[in-house]
Amino acid sequence: MADPGPAVAVSEPRAAPGHRHWFQAARDDSRFWIPVFLLPFVLLYFGFTLWPLLATIVYSFFDWDGVQPLNQFIGVDNYTRILSDPLFWSAFRNTLLFAVLNTVIKLPLTLLAAVLLTRRWLLFKRFFRTVFFLPIILPVALSGLVFTYLLNPSNGALNSFLLERGLLKQPIDLLGHDNTALLAVILISVWQIFGQYMLYWMAALQQVPEELYEAADLDGANERQKMLHVTIPLIRPVAVIITLLALVNALHVFGIIVTLTAGGPGRATYVVSYFIYTEAFQNAPFKYGYASAAALIFAVLAFVFVTGQGVLARRAEQLRRQYGV
Amino acid sequence: MVGLKGLAAVLAVALGVIACGGGQTAAQPSKTPGAPVTLKLQDYSVEQTDFHKQVAAEYHRLNPNVTIEWTSIAQAQYNQTLPLAFSSKQAPDVFYWTTGGPNAMNQLLASGWIQPWTTDATAAADWEKRWPSGSFLNGITLKGGKLYGFPWQDTHYWGPGYMYMNKAVFQQAGLDVSKPPATWSQLSDACKAIRARTRAYCIAAPMKDTDFQRLWYALAAGRLSDTFFDYRNGRFDLDDPRFMDTFNYIVGLNKNGYLAPGVNDKDFSRQQFAAGQAGIYMDGPWMVSVWAQLGFHSDGYAVAAHPAPDDTPRGALSQRYSQYAYWLSSQSTHQAEAFKFIQWVTNPTGFFVQNFLKNSFATLAFADNKKYLGDPAWKSVFKIADTKGFRVVYPEPLLKCPALADSKAFTMASTTRPNGEWEVMVQNLVNNRDMTADARALVNMRQAIFDTQLQKEQASGLKVSKDCYTFSGWNYDQDYNPANYPKS
Repeated sequence: MADPGPAVAVSEPRAAPGHRHWFQAARDDSRFWIPVFLLPFVLLYFGFTLWPLLATIVYSFFDWDGVQPLNQFIGVDNYTRILSDPLFWSAFRNTLLFAVLNTVIKLPLTLLAAVLLTRRWLLFKRFFRTVFFLPIILPVALSGLVFTYLLNPSNGALNSFLLERGLLKQPIDLLGHDNTALLAVILISVWQIFGQYMLYWMAALQQVPEELYEAADLDGANERQKMLHVTIPLIRPVAVIITLLALVNALHVFGIIVTLTAGGPGRATYVVSYFIYTEAFQNAPFKYGYASAAALIFAVLAFVFVTGQGVLARRAEQLRRQYGV
Repeated sequence: MVGLKGLAAVLAVALGVIACGGGQTAAQPSKTPGAPVTLKLQDYSVEQTDFHKQVAAEYHRLNPNVTIEWTSIAQAQYNQTLPLAFSSKQAPDVFYWTTGGPNAMNQLLASGWIQPWTTDATAAADWEKRWPSGSFLNGITLKGGKLYGFPWQDTHYWGPGYMYMNKAVFQQAGLDVSKPPATWSQLSDACKAIRARTRAYCIAAPMKDTDFQRLWYALAAGRLSDTFFDYRNGRFDLDDPRFMDTFNYIVGLNKNGYLAPGVNDKDFSRQQFAAGQAGIYMDGPWMVSVWAQLGFHSDGYAVAAHPAPDDTPRGALSQRYSQYAYWLSSQSTHQAEAFKFIQWVTNPTGFFVQNFLKNSFATLAFADNKKYLGDPAWKSVFKIADTKGFRVVYPEPLLKCPALADSKAFTMASTTRPNGEWEVMVQNLVNNRDMTADARALVNMRQAIFDTQLQKEQASGLKVSKDCYTFSGWNYDQDYNPANYPKS
């Protein structure tokens, strides 16, 4: 070991005793640093979440076009008008339908794909992951355009293919009828978001310890039994979160509606986000106050809906434990 | 709920930015004459972007101290950003705004967005001679003796109601474009021939969003009108039996497979027509330049007037006081330079007019359109529109009751569910349903808002009433006589 040599007294820069005391105290005290580190987030949260939310609440009590001064206070008039606006309720019904069906279709399918893509025996896993993930990279507008042309009954690829092979006598217009337009939009949306939810499930599945599957193998469990008795119970907590996320995200549907149907045919695929957009921006004079009220009503209703799902899921879990099933 | 908050947040941020903008500032006079000036213009004529660059270069060449910055963005984006620009005091000097039609000036004045083009009454008087007499009207372009607006587009030729026929498709079907279908039954017969003898659809009919208007205005004007308000009795009128006739005729076309299938947008339908996948497309004269952009020229198509019902009384297309487009921003500090530029632009034989018309962007209210629009398709358009009764001058309530400048009744009624008429028609058309009940519900909703608001305004002392919107002595196929307006 080398001789450290004579000790050298290193003197720190001198500071006024009071200042040093304050600085040292602050440096050592987490009560000082926690707010400092939180400040950027708090500022951003206030600026981009709380303040706009408060502003939206304020605007919803005014008859305001975004141009004139904000001085026409009308109380709850916007709210009463929205509550009696059949188009809002039609859009609300479509939005819920979209969210529920979209979630019900995409979650099992993406889980299945995730299970398959985490199997050891599967070849070309990366290729399949990329294929499933590709649509999420495409801009929504492009997806909308692609499907508009693909499904077009006049000369779209799908109809041409089916007609030329005699599988259809008349072209089908999936986006052009009340009965099919929303379902078509839902399926296209599932296609688009598929990769994202598949990744969520894959992340959840990778948390399941491999030893449990080995133990199940030793006990002679088949794939179905391993899925039902090992995989699903272990990913259930994450599954609840993924489900709630899926619902919330689906409630925001907007871009795909704009590019595929513009709410049509007629009003068949009107959703709340599109309703808010058209009221706020599409036709002058703009109805910012009315759109703000619609956004808030929808937020409250959606909050009740999503929270209700969470409460029900927890209650079901409690009952399951209670009865030991 | 993060996402939902996010949605509200996006909306509110936009609103918030507006709110932070505060009021308008009074425009200050320009600085020393000859000092460098940049004039900013904004509109949503994206297709004219290259032309605007040429205009800016030419004007700068003639006036080296003035730089023109002419920006064109998509209409939806423009409608959102212009209010923000005004609120944040970054408005352009000159801007395009047609919302409100004849009442645009009053609405813009109420918003504090505009200032007069000039304080020099003499200069304005000379300039106004470029338009036909009666083009500058109190309450529409003038207020308090000051000039705020001027007619931009011509409204005699410009408007919906023209039928384009693809020559190749007509030829394959054994039809002659020089004998276009003039009645509804002839149109049905032509469609029958096209479907039987060609692989093309008969009519490319866009239905997405508000695009159904392309077909509807043409056919509805043959029966009654291309507006949804009855100026004979002051009533919204989608449920008028004559409109029901028109709608049922279109339903029949659809049932027979004469409309190209799909809820397509106008661009798709136009491409179908230009590609020979449809024989007929109905729209305005702007299609001449649109077809040219698609590489489809007038040797490939012919233009005719829209077909009308066989033997019932006919209607007409409307010519309205709606051609006011460019306004001088209240925030501009370059009033004199802006007016000088507009005088140059509106020179009936100048660089702007010649090149604007050469590109077929529109017909202009202050130019000899026939002189510069030489395309054969334009010649047909002129001939069609000059036919008596094709387009008639509609009565203007604002000229009957100047107090309507302060009324919100019509705007409130027509902008509540603004696309309602198209939604009702398309939804019932694609589902082959009778639209009577939906049409009546929409009309009742609009009428209730209209009547209630008029009554409120009347009670508050505003001299407005339903009578302002009633012109019982006029008929839909006649020009309204301006002498019938009360003398102000």
